[in-house]
Amino acid sequence: MDRLIALVLVRFKLELRGFSRARERTLGLVLAIPGVAILSGALSLVAFFGTRTLQARNPELLLPVLSVLVTGLGLLWALSPVLTGLAFTETHDLTRLLHFPIPLGTLVASSLIANLAQPLVAAQMPVLLALALGLSTRLAAFPFALAGVVLAFVFILAASQLAGLALHAVSRNRRYHDLALFLGLALSFALSLVPVLLMAGAGRGLGRAVRLLAAGDLFALSPFAWGVRAAVHAGRGEAAPFLGFSALCAGAIVAALGLCVAMIHRIYRGELKLGGAGGGAATRARMVLPGRLGALVEKDLRAIWREPVMRAAFVMGLASPLLFLLFLSQTRAMSASGTWLLGLASFVGIAGFGANAFGMERRGLATLLGFPLPRFWLLVGKNLASIAFRLPSLLTLLVAGAFLASPALVPAAATIAISTLLIASGADNYMSILFPLTVPAPGQSAYGGGGAGGRGLGSAFLAAFALAGVMLASAPFAFLAWLPLLLESPRLWLVSLPLALAGATAAYLMLVSGAARLLSRREPELLERVLGEA
Amino acid sequence: MYASGVNGSGADAIVVRGLTKRFRDQAAVDGISFRVARGRFFGFLGPNGAGKSTTIKMLTGLLRPTAGEACIEGLDLARDLLAIKRIIGVLPEELALYERLTGEEYLHFAGRMHGLSKDETRRRTDELLDFLSLAEDRGKLIVDYSQGMKKKTALAAALIHNPKVLFLDEPLNGIDPVSGRVVTNLLRRLAAKGVTLFFTSHVLDVVERLCDEVAIIDRGRLVAQGSLAEIREGRSVSGDASLEDVFLKLVAADVSREDLSWIG
Repeated sequence: MDRLIALVLVRFKLELRGFSRARERTLGLVLAIPGVAILSGALSLVAFFGTRTLQARNPELLLPVLSVLVTGLGLLWALSPVLTGLAFTETHDLTRLLHFPIPLGTLVASSLIANLAQPLVAAQMPVLLALALGLSTRLAAFPFALAGVVLAFVFILAASQLAGLALHAVSRNRRYHDLALFLGLALSFALSLVPVLLMAGAGRGLGRAVRLLAAGDLFALSPFAWGVRAAVHAGRGEAAPFLGFSALCAGAIVAALGLCVAMIHRIYRGELKLGGAGGGAATRARMVLPGRLGALVEKDLRAIWREPVMRAAFVMGLASPLLFLLFLSQTRAMSASGTWLLGLASFVGIAGFGANAFGMERRGLATLLGFPLPRFWLLVGKNLASIAFRLPSLLTLLVAGAFLASPALVPAAATIAISTLLIASGADNYMSILFPLTVPAPGQSAYGGGGAGGRGLGSAFLAAFALAGVMLASAPFAFLAWLPLLLESPRLWLVSLPLALAGATAAYLMLVSGAARLLSRREPELLERVLGEA
Repeated sequence: MYASGVNGSGADAIVVRGLTKRFRDQAAVDGISFRVARGRFFGFLGPNGAGKSTTIKMLTGLLRPTAGEACIEGLDLARDLLAIKRIIGVLPEELALYERLTGEEYLHFAGRMHGLSKDETRRRTDELLDFLSLAEDRGKLIVDYSQGMKKKTALAAALIHNPKVLFLDEPLNGIDPVSGRVVTNLLRRLAAKGVTLFFTSHVLDVVERLCDEVAIIDRGRLVAQGSLAEIREGRSVSGDASLEDVFLKLVAADVSREDLSWIG
């Protein structure tokens, strides 16, 4: 028992220290509290009135619908580490404690208890109470309904722990870790599209799908549903099914915890090795682009493609313009003239501001700045890689634009996008040099949070000013590309488009030249800030 | 800011005068001065946190000194940083390799960043990979390398442009004994060919075997510099005392401890 208490306390201490040592996290929590409270209150109302309404109108649907919903929510909760980019924090990594002589059961139980006190978990308590109240037709049934709901919730936490351990086992192999990270982010992106799809009229389809799933009550077999089914029966005063489903849910919790213990045991003994990460050990892969600039661009592109987070960002970048077009098509913002395409092209270009030229480097920035490459070319190389990374999404937009607007507008849209992209990239170099981001210390996850710093509020204001500057600076070139459309004289494009590109390139080169001088002066300070040594 | 005008004789590869680095109110390096003659194997020793890595970072342009001046091969660190980067090779303590490149790609990248032609980079990469027993794993991503392999890759990258001055921060940490011997033999050959080596290590018997000259830093201040014989003489240490004995005496380390009461 002493060890159990000590483990739970150390977990709380680590959590608290995580907040006290990172002002951003504390501020984030403080800012999140009202939002979480409102969300919790809203969910409580939905849970209470939803169950009451369903109970009153379609009592036969209460069990299957709740089973479907709880299973869906439970799966989302359990998979949350994947959806957030395998954000294993120190506190979730039970394997760090394995060299202590602690019974594995104690270890797993301590983690489960500590999980119950997490802010996001605690925020669900009002929802559980509301659900139990909503299900209870008589006050005497409330404690039993609450017991069922709590059992369901504890099972979700146990399943989440099991999923976390399985992911931890998988992530011990770099290739599987990368794959899980990529798929998780892709899934997370897909889920984030739900509101867009609902706006696009998929809401009715979703409702039909839920009704279809509930019709056969297949989800009675889902362990996520057993606790809630026990609660429904308790609320109706049906003792035997309440006891049956409660026992099933308790058994599922014990089974999940048992599986956790077995998995920890196997991870510890190295029995879950998934093979070497290897691959291509003796194959030759050389840099093909010419010159130092080519090597720099190629290095970035290769690294981006092999980095799962960046690859996911690339895929999302491809899909985003299409989604935006879909959204626009639903809001009737698309005019027949096709000027919306030119506007959208400006946005795609301006998105280059904030790319953070040195973001990809992380701690490798010290290596990069150790090379005797003239800083002008270094910045050009970093910008070109960033622009190349965005080109496929621009191409997607242009192809879609050619179909939805007019192919004649594509060169103008491409010119606007490239001009604004050049100026945004050139201006962003100053932000990267003057307000660099601190990267995580060695051994800390780049995705787990806690290690990396922010640029601060002051720099956010400056960034807003700089962004306005970028928009102003790129306006003349965008205007040059737009002018023939306004004058209804397409032949003018033969002059205006090359002129816009040449002007934007000249402006870009001037921006980079200034940024390179700034970089040469501030290199050590930049490194001190990025590496967190200042 | 650096002050300019640091002098050094034509035979000096590194000249440091009054170099200081303060982090807030704490001096990590406190006004150190020393010279390293060209082609010397120079050991820079000190306990953890003494200021060794900070000194290397300042000498390689990764940290700006709070005060003092330094010159590498006659080039002023304050004014000629890019020119200095062309002639130095650096193996930092904290390796910051591009882990999503293969070992071979990384060496190609490093060679090209130093302005070598494609063919020359390829030739040197192949030789380095063979020499450091990395050829079989040339196509693996660096993220999948062991710590020793990463160290060897970083060393290869530091060597690929044939630098005149080599800064090595704990180069033998994490390297197996066979590779360690290969590396130390290589470093000896480099010194014999006139390359200046600025070397930190906690393995004092290796330093004793390799270095012509050592400087010992403690809490940011230099406490001794010279050949081992000169340091022994200056500190009245017996002629057969090891570098470890001299080191412990110089940093005034108290290694006597009472036993733990509950052990045994």
